[in-house]
Amino acid sequence: MATETRDSTRADVSDLSLDTAAVLAEEERGPIEGRSPWYLAWRRLRRNYVALFSLFVFLLIVAACVLAPVYADRVAHTNPYTNHVTDTVKVSGKKVSVISAGGTFTDPKTGELRVKAVNILGPTWWHAGGRFVLGADENGRDNAVRLLYGGRNSLMIGVGSALICVILAVFFSLLAGYYGGTVDWIITRAYDLIWAFPVILLAIAIGAALAIGGIDWNLGLFRIKLAGESLWIPTIVISYVLVPYIGRPLRGQILSLREKEFVEAAIAQGAGSFRIMFTEILPNIASSVLVFFALIVANNILLEAALSFLGAGVQPPNPSWGTLISDGQIRILTAPWLTVVPGLAIVLTAVSLNIFGDGLRDALDPRAKVKIEH
Amino acid sequence: MTRRDRSTLVVSVAALTIGVALLAAACGGGGNKSSASTAGATGAGGGSTEQKTFPNFRIVYDTGTDYLDPGLSYTVQGWETMWNVYLSLLGYKHVAGPDGATLVPALAQDLPDISADGKTYKLKLRTGLKYSDGKAVKASDFKYAIKRLFQIDSPGVGFFTNIAGAEQFSKTKKGDISGITANDQTGDITIKLVKPQGDFQNILATIFAAPVPTGTPPKDQSTTPIPSTGPYMIQSYKPNRQFVLARNPNFKSTDDVPATNPDKITVKIVEDDAAALQQVINGQADYDFHPIPVDRLADVQQKYGDQLKIYTPANTYYFFMNTRQAPFDKLQVRQAVNYAIDRNALVRLYGGLATPTENILPPTYPQYKKHNLYPHDLAKAKQLINQAGAKGVAVTVWTSNRDTAKKPAAYLQDVLNQIGLKAKLKVIDASIYWTTIGNQATKAQVGFADWFQDYPHPLDWFDVLLNGDRITQTHNNNYSNFNDAAVNSTIGKLKTEADLTDSVNQQWATLDNTIMKKAGWAPYVNRQFTDFFSSKINTGDCYINHVLYQFDFSRICMK
Repeated sequence: MATETRDSTRADVSDLSLDTAAVLAEEERGPIEGRSPWYLAWRRLRRNYVALFSLFVFLLIVAACVLAPVYADRVAHTNPYTNHVTDTVKVSGKKVSVISAGGTFTDPKTGELRVKAVNILGPTWWHAGGRFVLGADENGRDNAVRLLYGGRNSLMIGVGSALICVILAVFFSLLAGYYGGTVDWIITRAYDLIWAFPVILLAIAIGAALAIGGIDWNLGLFRIKLAGESLWIPTIVISYVLVPYIGRPLRGQILSLREKEFVEAAIAQGAGSFRIMFTEILPNIASSVLVFFALIVANNILLEAALSFLGAGVQPPNPSWGTLISDGQIRILTAPWLTVVPGLAIVLTAVSLNIFGDGLRDALDPRAKVKIEH
Repeated sequence: MTRRDRSTLVVSVAALTIGVALLAAACGGGGNKSSASTAGATGAGGGSTEQKTFPNFRIVYDTGTDYLDPGLSYTVQGWETMWNVYLSLLGYKHVAGPDGATLVPALAQDLPDISADGKTYKLKLRTGLKYSDGKAVKASDFKYAIKRLFQIDSPGVGFFTNIAGAEQFSKTKKGDISGITANDQTGDITIKLVKPQGDFQNILATIFAAPVPTGTPPKDQSTTPIPSTGPYMIQSYKPNRQFVLARNPNFKSTDDVPATNPDKITVKIVEDDAAALQQVINGQADYDFHPIPVDRLADVQQKYGDQLKIYTPANTYYFFMNTRQAPFDKLQVRQAVNYAIDRNALVRLYGGLATPTENILPPTYPQYKKHNLYPHDLAKAKQLINQAGAKGVAVTVWTSNRDTAKKPAAYLQDVLNQIGLKAKLKVIDASIYWTTIGNQATKAQVGFADWFQDYPHPLDWFDVLLNGDRITQTHNNNYSNFNDAAVNSTIGKLKTEADLTDSVNQQWATLDNTIMKKAGWAPYVNRQFTDFFSSKINTGDCYINHVLYQFDFSRICMK
């Protein structure tokens, strides 16, 4: 009995075209393993070195801020609130006052009343054993410690508000996009109402009002009570004012997905509305949501800085990058680092997140046009 | 006014007239307007007697005024503005130095006739007086103004409760105050007091006592300015942004209320100290009300020495401690705060332009006797907190958003945390800060406060700020709600003293010590201040720093 072996059925490759040779080579390797969209996205992302580097920078900033208590305790030996007004520090072996005494004296030559220069300790750049690396502020507090603690607050508010914003936007947009009709009308008009106000002005108005009295809502079943200086106040304010900026584009996508066959099939199978929304539609907008989240964190950090700078965000003496810039501006000519350093921190964080967000968008869906506009 | 002053006046007017005629011939119009209008009275201690008018004096304020209503405003910003807008029956000389505290008639013809028992004051209104809107000023307008103070819950009501019938009126806010009679025909005003009161003439010179047109609504008129009697009227007002004073066309100057130099005064609110300083340096403004940032002060003096003035008004900066709110209802806690604060550290927060103090009265007062009851001792403070059972008690430190308030308040918050309390900071906009903490409903526990004298008498401190009988529900000035029966009684007794003799002064000094032993306050510094002008301003003979009202806008002139 004649048998056909692989070898005997193999044609002489030199006689075949390149395409066919490639197909045959593929066949030898065996069946191609399927790849999920997430894996493909990850593969695209990991080739985007710029995005990865940006992520690394952001994570570095986060790590530094998370380790703020360690730095404060072990390196700077203080906390962000302690006033070292009359303290002295050894800088390169020389005793220096954190805030000099100042005062007046009578000029012996002219008899005029003269003012003594007041020196507030500038950056010691590690020449004081880790104390006052970025100098002191007008209350004698360690600027480097406040910068790191400020970063914690800014990042917490930025990430927290982004999370709340995205959750609310997804929820209401799913309702609007799926149900359509009156529900869509109500939610869309609510978006329009919020969108009608300039974001910064609306955030300032609400933030300033709540910063004074805080929140004390008795909702029957439970009570929400937040003091004016609570970090939840700016978190809630920022997440509230930016819901439409994510909600509207998501609603558009959901409206389009609603008409797809897989949704019709799910309906035909008798799946309930919420099941369809969360198991059929939501996974299809997940990539957009992820990209929005990354971009909105950067946006919210900027907004928090603006609110805090204007006194409607984080309340003193709690530090945030925005309050540090605000506090430092009075000394912009004599101690510019007080405003420049937190400003740079904001820029680095926002830029790194934006670049990473762009990279994530390109990786998840190169055709997507996801952006947040004001 | 003296014969010497009158002859000087005639010579001044003649010289000015000749000077202006020569100037007009040389220049032919345009530029600075040196007019030959009536010159002001001479006075000791600085200030030019000639009128040197110019179009607009531009001021940068650090915060909006609390009100632009003479019945409600009780801040330095408000009074420094309205001193030249709303005249009272009496006023003060527009001169620098101690002479500035000399009482003079303003709307009245003369200083009052005071009866032998010190309880009846008789004054006569000057004839021909008109408000800025042309209405005649009547004697009954004074009575109306006093009644209005009670109707609007003015912070100044306490000054007038000694007038017969005022207490009764304050209960219903209806009817009459029997102790004030006014005859519009003759201009006679008679005020009868329940008890003699040593500072009543000074009270008649406060802006609270300024007559307003009868019928002025009994509510805040800041945005619809009340017609004025002074050299200026409020032309426009944008709360927390700007207000403009223009010449009152119906004002007639006298020797005691001289004509003014700027035709217009524009006050802009610029909250940032550094920005305000830069505006004046750049010539965008003429006067900076702000304190100069401490780290720039020496440099500013170096470069712009002749534009900078340093002065010390009678003031005390302190932390109030509300005795109606735990834990400050306990003496030990209040004493702990006094021990805990390092007054020398607080001096540094003001760039050294301050002196530490534990006294209520400032050192310029003859009744001032320095005491040292609370040397800085954190350990002792912690011990007192523990003894009072106040460890871990939550406390809110109130402050305004001005740096000069926020910095010491942040310091206090840190110190309170160090001694075992759980303190947080509450920052309020400066323009509403005093009304907020002066409202009992706020229940402010502890916070920043300061006081600048209204007139040079201890009553202005103890009676206004620490007399428990003068605590009010709103616009309260006794932020500590300090209410000690013995102290109240002593104040009441000393209030009837007509003269400040050595014995009376000693009693005031003892009272200062007594109140501080009971830790009614935590005073910490008496501050020095700066006035900074643009290069165009004549800071020589035109600069008057008044002992009560600080820099006198009305007398400044250009170089």
